[in-house]
Amino acid sequence: MARMKFLCDVERCIDCNGCVIACKEGNNVPVGVNRRRVITINEGRPGERSVSISCMHCSDAPCIAVCPVKAIYQREDGIVLVNKDICIGCGYCFMACPFGAPQFPSGQVFGARGAMDKCTFCAGGPAETFSEKERKLYGQNRIAEGKPPLCAAMCSTKALLAGDADVISDIFRKRAFQRGSGAGAWGWDKAYGGK
Amino acid sequence: MTNSLNDIRHSKLVFMIGSNAAEAHPVAMQHVLYAKEVNNAPIIVVDPRFTKLAAKATDYVRIRPGTDTAFVMGLINQIVSNDWYDKDFVRARVAGFPEMCKVASHYTPDVVEDITGIPASEVVRIAKLMATHRPGTVVWCMGGTQHSIGSSNTRAFCILQLVLGNMGKSGGGTNIFRGHDNVQGATDMCVLSHSLPGYYGIKDGSWKHWCRVWDVDYEWIKSRFHSKEYMNKKGFTLARWYEGVNQDDKINQYTPIKALIQWGCAGNSNSMLHRVKKAMDKLELVVIVDPFAPAMCTWGEKDNVYLLPCSSQYETSGSLTSTSRQFQWRFKVVDPIYESKDDYEIMAELVKRLGFADKFYKNIKKVPEDITREICKGTLTIGYNGALPERIKKHTLNWHTFDIDTLQAKGGPCDGEYYGLPWPCWTETHPGTPILYDISKPVAKGGLPFRARFGTKITYYDGRTEDLLAAKGVANPGSQVKGGYPEFKDIVPGTNWKTDLSQKTIKEAIKRGMAPFGNARARCVVWTFPDQVPVHREPVHSPRPDLIAKYPTYNDKPDQYRVYTRFKSEQNPDLVKKFPFVIITGRMVEHMGGGAETRSNKYLSELQPHVYAEINERTANNLGIRNGQMVWIESPEGGRAKVMAKVTDRVDEHTIFLPYHFAGQFEGKSLVDRYPEGMAPYAVGEPANIVTNYGYDIITQIQATKDGLCNVKPA
Ligand code: SF4
Ligand code: SF4
Repeated sequence: MARMKFLCDVERCIDCNGCVIACKEGNNVPVGVNRRRVITINEGRPGERSVSISCMHCSDAPCIAVCPVKAIYQREDGIVLVNKDICIGCGYCFMACPFGAPQFPSGQVFGARGAMDKCTFCAGGPAETFSEKERKLYGQNRIAEGKPPLCAAMCSTKALLAGDADVISDIFRKRAFQRGSGAGAWGWDKAYGGK
Repeated sequence: MTNSLNDIRHSKLVFMIGSNAAEAHPVAMQHVLYAKEVNNAPIIVVDPRFTKLAAKATDYVRIRPGTDTAFVMGLINQIVSNDWYDKDFVRARVAGFPEMCKVASHYTPDVVEDITGIPASEVVRIAKLMATHRPGTVVWCMGGTQHSIGSSNTRAFCILQLVLGNMGKSGGGTNIFRGHDNVQGATDMCVLSHSLPGYYGIKDGSWKHWCRVWDVDYEWIKSRFHSKEYMNKKGFTLARWYEGVNQDDKINQYTPIKALIQWGCAGNSNSMLHRVKKAMDKLELVVIVDPFAPAMCTWGEKDNVYLLPCSSQYETSGSLTSTSRQFQWRFKVVDPIYESKDDYEIMAELVKRLGFADKFYKNIKKVPEDITREICKGTLTIGYNGALPERIKKHTLNWHTFDIDTLQAKGGPCDGEYYGLPWPCWTETHPGTPILYDISKPVAKGGLPFRARFGTKITYYDGRTEDLLAAKGVANPGSQVKGGYPEFKDIVPGTNWKTDLSQKTIKEAIKRGMAPFGNARARCVVWTFPDQVPVHREPVHSPRPDLIAKYPTYNDKPDQYRVYTRFKSEQNPDLVKKFPFVIITGRMVEHMGGGAETRSNKYLSELQPHVYAEINERTANNLGIRNGQMVWIESPEGGRAKVMAKVTDRVDEHTIFLPYHFAGQFEGKSLVDRYPEGMAPYAVGEPANIVTNYGYDIITQIQATKDGLCNVKPA
């Protein structure tokens, strides 16, 4: 079975935020909740690099390990999802996650957070596929429609790749080979630990 | 754009000057990055700011605003004096070369360093890089044009490509990225005061041509003007229309302007907005047509503004022309929502009420197809005539059959044609012209020589006479004339290729393997311009008094598009004492133009909620300004803007940058309550253009918003 992964090619990402907007518009994410974010380092200086980050859908995901109520689970294709009916909003996953992916609705004091929200790889959630409940709680289920996540589909420069790990790493390998350098696939070591 | 976005995939070098495509044209960047990765192409970015595009460059060159001509003439000088220029190309297809070289020779690396701030060694290095990586493409945007010498800048860029022999070649060309999907279309329709659609100008012949196309009586049109003189007189421009109201500079028109219709155009993109605001109250009538309530509807103190809600592009259909001269059909997604109407309907209603709908709708039965058809019929100058609505739709619907690299369809219903029939598309079977001035292909297959537009012979100011047609033996394959030839005329007596509506002339030319507009040389000398060869002139508001003395601006122009435009009388060497910083403006990727639409989107507003002024760390510390603090930016014209300081290395110590998309606040005062109820955008702020300066291009009168002066102080 295919293993779904994200790969953001930092040599290509131009910090246009197209991916962020595609995600928010397409999934009706509330203002203040960022399933995906673009981070820039060395802004305005040589060495400026941007990377688009969301939940990486880790192998051995730390968020799953620490969740006290087992609200987070991993599908067979590697996609990590949260069940908002079970989540108690404790925020442990946020502290365990190396990428700062889990999000909580803003405006409430610590300890009284709503259910965790994060990138679903556009695979909806545990509610019935294509149901109104799934759309409202989790957003679109494009994976069930056979489509890639919105962010990668709309990336202006094809920096952000999403899909079967074998396929996207081949695309990236080809690029790295053409560039003749070992351009970094940001975050892969941490997220996938070589798996 | 002589080539296309996709064609950049073939470039061996990409030279981008005055463009921040990473923010203004993010999707185009995939082709630039492809050239970088696959061709190992150097990406040279020349800009006063270390932009998001600069972050993707292999070679970033920081330039002092307004000195592009000096730098590029310096590159040309290196290329010529080191014998790196394309001698065959220059011999066969270029005119005015010795005259140009003589002018360029002034721009030695040291002179260039003094003017531009670019180290002399960099001038030599970049020139060599360009000479050793051919073909390379040259890209520019508003950073190149919005200067008092903008027209010299763009000509210098073209000459650079001529001496390198990069014109008419895949991977080469001069490629100006346009902002919207239809900016090229708007340009081609000449929504301007000095030309009728299709670049026909406003001479009698042009009027008569379009009267024939519209089937309208020329005498009737003439009778609509105050007098014949005004029919052929260039009108006010977008940059200075408000002077026609305010008359702070003397106008050359029998009456001040009394009414304004602002249609799909952001008022806050005008420079010196406090003067625009003043004009709003003097106008008798202001009509604004826009899908979102724009900045302008909040500025007037009088009750003279009408806001007509028009639909967005998704709620209508029609043809458009993209930056790569490609036509596309835009299909409607949903009907116009709320009480909005599409542009066609608003225009039709307006014309009806003005009482001449019967005159202008003779050819238009089916909207929008017949509009496209009428445009095609009349716009022969740039070969719109072959791009009929049916063909455009066929291309758009079969886009997947076209090759991403060559743009040519491989099989399918459009086999062999180029995507979007890039103009000129000379006949109903012509495949489109993917690369302008490419003499390697027959004209019928998308090839083209340089146009014979400026006569066949010229005697220059130095007394030398030159034949302007291409050299012997230089023509497209299959051309009946093996060498240069003038434009086609009198095939149908009394007409030429661009006025013969039967299109017999164009067809005859294509049949003979020739271009309807002739086969000539590209010229380095423009004898009708004040600077026949591009030379550096200091910005009207310059930070370098010493260079004002050496490279002064032009003499004032008493009647430039109906208004007195100051150049020399405005250039004051002492101005920099009070206004020590150079102010430049530009894009944020999240917002577009005046921002009425994007600032009304909650997600985009979340990403970029504030206007800010980029200030270098050293400058900020010297002025006692901290990151995030409010500051006043003050312009020599008296405009002031209160914005947040963003302390960053993007700009150098002398430069302040502001994004120009904001509105809803004016000189410290909120105007949010002035929007119609529920229409105020989420993100509001001070428009940068309150503090942009006086200054206009000598030819086009485009506003010089990329090289003014300002002062900054903590608020
Ligand atoms: S990125 Fe964070 S939230 Fe996503 S799977 Fe990994 S640990 Fe969990
Ligand atoms: S859309 Fe692509 S290029 Fe733009 S910020 Fe996202 S990942 Fe980067």
